[in-house]
Amino acid sequence: MKIFIIGAGQVGATIVQALHDEHELTVFDLDEERLAAISQRYDVATVEGNGASRRVLAAAGITEANLLIACTSRDESNIVAAMISKACSSRTTTVVRTTNPEYLEVWREGQLDVDFIVSSEVETAYAISRTIGVPAARQTDVFAEGQVQMAEFDVTAKADPILLGMPLREARLPADSRVAAIIRGEGVVIPRGDEKIRPGDRIVVIGSPHAAQEWGKLIAPGTGKVRDVVIFGAGRAGTAVARLLLEQGIGVRLIVASRERARDVAAELPDTRVYHATGFDPDFLDRERIADAQVAVFAMRDDMKNHFAATLAKVHGARFTVAIVHDAPSQEVFEHAGIDVTVNPRQITAEEIVRFAHDPRTQQVVMLEGDRFEVLDLTTRRDSEYVGLTFKEMPIRGALIGAIVRDGTAVFPRGDDVLRPGDRVIVFTESRRVPEVEKAL
Amino acid sequence: MSRREAFLAVDVVGALHIVGTLIAYLSLATLVPAGVALGYGESVWPFLAAGGIAGGIGAGVALATRGDYRLNVREGFLVVSLTWLVAAALGALPYILSGDPQLDRPIDAYFEGMSGFSTTGGSIVVNVEDLPRSLLIWRQFSQWLGGIGIIVLALAVLPRLRVGGRQLLEHEMPGPEIETLSTRIRDTARRVWILYVALTIVLFGIFIALWATGVDEKMTPFHAAAHAFTTIPTAGFSTKGNSFEAFAPTTQWVAILFMVLGGINFALMYRTIVRRQPRAALRDQELRLYLALLVLGSVVVVTEIWTEDVLSGWHAVRAGVFTAVSTMTTTGFSVEDYNAWPALALMTIIGLMFVGGSAGSTTGSVKVVRHLLLGKVLRREIDQTLHPEVVLPVRLNRTVVEERTLRAVSSFILLYIGIFVLGAAALAIDAARTGLELSAFDAVSVSASMLSNVGPAFGIGGPLGSFEPFSDFSTLVMTGLMWLGRLEVIPIVVLLSRHYWRS
Repeated sequence: MKIFIIGAGQVGATIVQALHDEHELTVFDLDEERLAAISQRYDVATVEGNGASRRVLAAAGITEANLLIACTSRDESNIVAAMISKACSSRTTTVVRTTNPEYLEVWREGQLDVDFIVSSEVETAYAISRTIGVPAARQTDVFAEGQVQMAEFDVTAKADPILLGMPLREARLPADSRVAAIIRGEGVVIPRGDEKIRPGDRIVVIGSPHAAQEWGKLIAPGTGKVRDVVIFGAGRAGTAVARLLLEQGIGVRLIVASRERARDVAAELPDTRVYHATGFDPDFLDRERIADAQVAVFAMRDDMKNHFAATLAKVHGARFTVAIVHDAPSQEVFEHAGIDVTVNPRQITAEEIVRFAHDPRTQQVVMLEGDRFEVLDLTTRRDSEYVGLTFKEMPIRGALIGAIVRDGTAVFPRGDDVLRPGDRVIVFTESRRVPEVEKAL
Repeated sequence: MSRREAFLAVDVVGALHIVGTLIAYLSLATLVPAGVALGYGESVWPFLAAGGIAGGIGAGVALATRGDYRLNVREGFLVVSLTWLVAAALGALPYILSGDPQLDRPIDAYFEGMSGFSTTGGSIVVNVEDLPRSLLIWRQFSQWLGGIGIIVLALAVLPRLRVGGRQLLEHEMPGPEIETLSTRIRDTARRVWILYVALTIVLFGIFIALWATGVDEKMTPFHAAAHAFTTIPTAGFSTKGNSFEAFAPTTQWVAILFMVLGGINFALMYRTIVRRQPRAALRDQELRLYLALLVLGSVVVVTEIWTEDVLSGWHAVRAGVFTAVSTMTTTGFSVEDYNAWPALALMTIIGLMFVGGSAGSTTGSVKVVRHLLLGKVLRREIDQTLHPEVVLPVRLNRTVVEERTLRAVSSFILLYIGIFVLGAAALAIDAARTGLELSAFDAVSVSASMLSNVGPAFGIGGPLGSFEPFSDFSTLVMTGLMWLGRLEVIPIVVLLSRHYWRS
């Protein structure tokens, strides 16, 4: 596929990293150095110029492109680029990144001539709300309209003893779920029934949402349903998270540093309790019993502020901390500081966008461990070599089917179940094997 | 720029022009009682002369102050305050000119005029039924004119006032904020007036029907018109010495219903009735609290008079409900002389005087919405004492109320109470000076009743009594309280500030 990527920032770079192997990429940016950094690492074409310019797009051969991804940090540039592309070449699919949920709304109402819109804030909010649903998970995602959930856990010695040191076949694990992978240091094990889980492992589980929650309880005993969440920062991301959690009936407290913003948010979200305070005041944290919240989300714009506030909250007893990180290197710092979950909006946005470049049969892609692994949602072909085989018989080649969606309903296959043509499968695999898996199925 | 403008920051000339114009037009209202006088063969000239004098002075002032001026917020306060002061004088003129012994003293006549336009309903007249019918109708009609507001009328009816009108209306319409029904303030005023007139006609029709069907033989067309003029504006003047006690129970229940309607926000009523948006009314927090307080007040009064064996059965229910509704809506009609009621019932009645109806209604007093907002502010204060950082916007019907408005509500209530206390003190001291039989409780009730534009109070100023025994000084104090109450204090108090007159 011929893909134009406009914007070589963090989102653009992540997309390039995910797509450069299989596709023909042309990357546009105004910044020469960013382009140089990308072209040094990947075999892609670069164009120094404004992607929202008809001249530049035409010169690069927009009519040849199958897909245009506009992912600069400026919403309006992205929309203009997509609209120009539509005007020049109607068969080019356009995907636009936006940070403003309002554009998403306008697009849903069909008033924006763009094929797909991905909103960083909304996707980030979904990611955080999924994490909060299973607080023990490092990362979780849902497939097939929420019927299937993928969760990645760090197994510690605190985990329920029934998990540890026992062959998976014998352990009484939550029904309707499968351990899709055990990541052990640099290696990965696609487990068979005789494999054992050990403390220090990182495991990927695919199962029903209920099973994912049960897994959460096994991994971190004592965590229940979340009712009280504190969010620091009420920018677009913080507000989007608050709104989503409120919709799910979770109580939200918002801590906002700016007086005006605090007033506006309090007016906008009547069901939240808004505090005009910073997350850097230990007295405030104690007085308002912030530690009593089951989850603290740090959604301020500045990574360092999030880092400091999250650490302080931890010191004052916060049980579970989720932080939004904006710069990729911060992720390590946060993890080192013991912040439980980090969410990178740019990474999430890139993931959302990348799925448009996959095999059209692929409905969704989730990247794990910085795109070392992927979980795909794709439909099996009639002539696939696996169709007709029972799951017991299927050879394991660095991939595992965690769930199938048959006639719109999720099925969690047992060894005797047979894969049928047209089944949608939720499959875990290493990223480098994605083309292989797509071909095999 | 004239020299006066350089000296004063207020365009007094421009304000006078508006007041003159308004009064000139308002003087046409004397044609109504003149017509009645003609019909009953009574003397026409007091009304024609009053109209001529007021119209002549008004037109003269308007002509003399003609010119290019710009009115804004500042002048608005002066225009509204002066208009109502002068309107009361217009109301008083026919009383003085008629030479009727009960009303021909200027101070008494002015009190009666203010009680009329401010829709208070307290009267200096001892034997109402002795007054000529034309004079009676003028009393009733002045209340009808004042009910929804002179300036609302002017905006709705007059061709052009040369002012935007919004500020004027804001000072005149009761409540913290005006609710508009259209982009143009003029159209809002027009719609409110149409509804007001329509309600009056409906009530008149019902009264006539009661009379025609023999349910209430006393409610003759004359009395029907007279009481239709004073029920919707929650005003309270009656053409009967014993007010609604003279009429049949059914008539009294009808009056209760229309007093309640008069206490509802007219903009909201317009939306509900004309635009068929009943949901807005059902969800309106002020309306719900207003109705709840009416029920609560009624239940308390009925319980008190029934358990104390003052009255019993349906009579107790009717008397209790009528009194509670009449007091809370600041109407001032009565069906019983409650002077003999137990102290607890009287305390409840005083309490109801401070409630009032909805903002944008014809009622006086503090208004339900201000109580509602004050309650919300207090609740927030308590919450913020425990949680100093919490940000809690106060909402009314899901809309956030501006902090400015909340501050205004709090200061309004403080000012209101302050003026009420001063008024009560002045009345009590003056009564002691002149040897008038007025207990401290009576003085408190009179001050509350006047400031809240209710009318009757306790003691000599009770439902069957009259304010005639009060000294001239006390009469002026009461007149001032009615004026302050009708304009909701602020526009008048502002005039006392030095910063108002100087830039």
